[in-house]
Amino acid sequence: MTTHDTVVSVAGVTKRYAGHTAVHDLSLEIPKGVIYGLLGPNGAGKTTTIRMIMNIIVPDEGRVELFGGNATGRAMAHRIGYLPEERGLYRKMRVSDLLVFLAEIKGTRRSVAKSEAERWLERLGLGDWREKKIDDLSKGMQQKVQFIATVLHQPDLLILDEPFSGFDPVNTALMKDIIVELARAGTTVLFSTHIMEQAEKLCRAVCIIARGTKVVDGPVTAVKQQHGGRHVMVSVDGGLQGTERIFADRTLVGNVDDYGQYAEVEMADGATSQALLGALVQAGLNVTQFQVAEPTLNKIFIDLVGPEATQPRAEEVVDA
Amino acid sequence: MRKVWVVVRREFIERVRNKWFIASTILGPILMGALIVVPILMAERGGRERTIVVVDVTTSDFGRRVTDRFSGRVPVQATRLAVPLDRLEAVADSLAGLVGTQAEQAAIDGFLILTDATVEDGSAEYRGGNVSSLVDMSVLERVVREVVLVERLNRVGVDPALVSRATIPVSLTTVGIRGGKATEDSGEATFLLAYALWFILYMAILLYGAQVSGSVVEEKTSRVIEVLISSLRPFELLGGKIVGVGAVGLFQFLIWGISGKVMLDQSETIAGWFNVDLAGATSFSLPVVPASTIVIFLVYFFLGYFLYAAMFAATAAMSGSEAESRQAQFPVIMLLMIPTVLMLSILQQPDGEVAVALSLIPFCSPIAMPVRWAAAEVPIGEVALSIALLAATLLLVTWVAGRIYRVGILMYGKRPNMAELARWVRTR
Repeated sequence: MTTHDTVVSVAGVTKRYAGHTAVHDLSLEIPKGVIYGLLGPNGAGKTTTIRMIMNIIVPDEGRVELFGGNATGRAMAHRIGYLPEERGLYRKMRVSDLLVFLAEIKGTRRSVAKSEAERWLERLGLGDWREKKIDDLSKGMQQKVQFIATVLHQPDLLILDEPFSGFDPVNTALMKDIIVELARAGTTVLFSTHIMEQAEKLCRAVCIIARGTKVVDGPVTAVKQQHGGRHVMVSVDGGLQGTERIFADRTLVGNVDDYGQYAEVEMADGATSQALLGALVQAGLNVTQFQVAEPTLNKIFIDLVGPEATQPRAEEVVDA
Repeated sequence: MRKVWVVVRREFIERVRNKWFIASTILGPILMGALIVVPILMAERGGRERTIVVVDVTTSDFGRRVTDRFSGRVPVQATRLAVPLDRLEAVADSLAGLVGTQAEQAAIDGFLILTDATVEDGSAEYRGGNVSSLVDMSVLERVVREVVLVERLNRVGVDPALVSRATIPVSLTTVGIRGGKATEDSGEATFLLAYALWFILYMAILLYGAQVSGSVVEEKTSRVIEVLISSLRPFELLGGKIVGVGAVGLFQFLIWGISGKVMLDQSETIAGWFNVDLAGATSFSLPVVPASTIVIFLVYFFLGYFLYAAMFAATAAMSGSEAESRQAQFPVIMLLMIPTVLMLSILQQPDGEVAVALSLIPFCSPIAMPVRWAAAEVPIGEVALSIALLAATLLLVTWVAGRIYRVGILMYGKRPNMAELARWVRTR
């Protein structure tokens, strides 16, 4: 189903290392102009997949097509902005020299690279730092410089491996704004994350993988329809006191995720959300929130692969 | 190709801007200047006359004749002191007290004890504060030997006139021959040139090779490698890096070469700043470097540098840290040291089997051949064979090193063993 509107097409790729299979028979399609999330816990094979898309490592089986052709990621470097998971810059180089160098090896003309570097440094508030060495910059500033290096040459495709790790909330929002802006202007964005909430807010389409194998992929709306529509967010006055009996009714409620102040309720097969609301009202509880919700990607993910496969840590990101 | 050029330019500019480069480039000519001035200053200071006492225990006039001999063209002032044998130790003790004292008038550098046995079996004794000076000791030994020789010949009745004619010293002037023509160079100057070539080649290959290694490790440990390798082929990156660092080396040679030339031309002026009279003080002439030697030097420097840089890059790519890479490159350095260890046999016998073999073996020839070339005439066929072997090895080593590099730069963790390395070379 590869069309000329498909920017990235991965077909049945497998990568084995001594002793384990990092990615097994993975296929995905990324249409032009969307923000696409590659989701999964740490160690699921996201980085290996991205490296295969970039042709940094060669798949044992399967093939990768970029922009509908056979050219490798390296040959297409001028159209791709790649932010690796392992961030790194020449520590002794001056900021603007480094940015110009990294753009030039992607094929950008020196003069263009210089003016673009200037523009981006100003925009991200690093204008006064352009003649400083990378070593003199704070970690956050280095991350910004690396991000500029990724977008400086005006790529058509952005491949971002865990783009928000290591950023404080202010800079995360800044990066997010730029990504959305670039996507609106027609740039296709593939980014990987192990934080489902992030992907949920940003992505039009996702691919969830666990242990090297695809769990589900497609547009987020389709994934949610397919795997949900049976979830209700409930909260009642005084926490959730008095709901225990109703939630324990297996003809009505299949599963409850109790968050203390509210609960995410999955309806039992055949039961309707209206029946649950009726039961709560009849029990004399003061319902303060009752929302038929789409399940979160996180919930879908846990349902599909089991809780043991989820992320090892919450919001904290391992910044190696 | 344009991308390779971008890498070359980055390596070159970043390195030339580095304070170590600037420091070593400036220090080079200063050292060269010091090489001219300091030995002369030292010679002037160390060249003062020695004062010794000849303790004469002989029963003949042998001691007197030795003492007379010192009054000739030797830089030793000798005073004879006749001592009976039974008083020898007492006199020696009191003389020992005078060695190195501050009292200017009485101070002596040492004393020479001559006995009747000196003429018989050649034994003599010197005690002094300058016994570690090879020059001083060889002067003493020469004087005593000459007088002993004359004495022995006289005793067997050889005509004294004949003896004095027979002992006229020989003065050997050496002139190098190159291409059938006599050169201006003395043997000393030829040796000096060969020695200088060895030193520059060895240091340059080692230092610039190590810079390539450092650069590879830096890209790996800083993790910038992944961004680079997403835009550049490993060979483009490695090639650009090696050429860039090599260009820095060439640039430094150029600066040193020009400043060295200027300083040699102006050496009298420079000597003047230090109040040194160059013309009178020095007998050693600096070598004239022929153009052919410069060509040979540059050809072998580049081939040798590329060969070793590729090996340094491969060892660095296998390592996860600067310290680890220094360990991994040890075998490479050992390889480079072989011609250095055998340096003397090349210089002493530039046509000998060892020298010929070393100048053909690819890992040694980058250093051995230019040294041989400077020291003696080398058949052009041997040079051609040596360059061909070196170039073929370079291609092979670069291919293997490039493949190790390609896999190694993205590998973290344990260092690979030989079997894993072989797999790296074979992988697609």
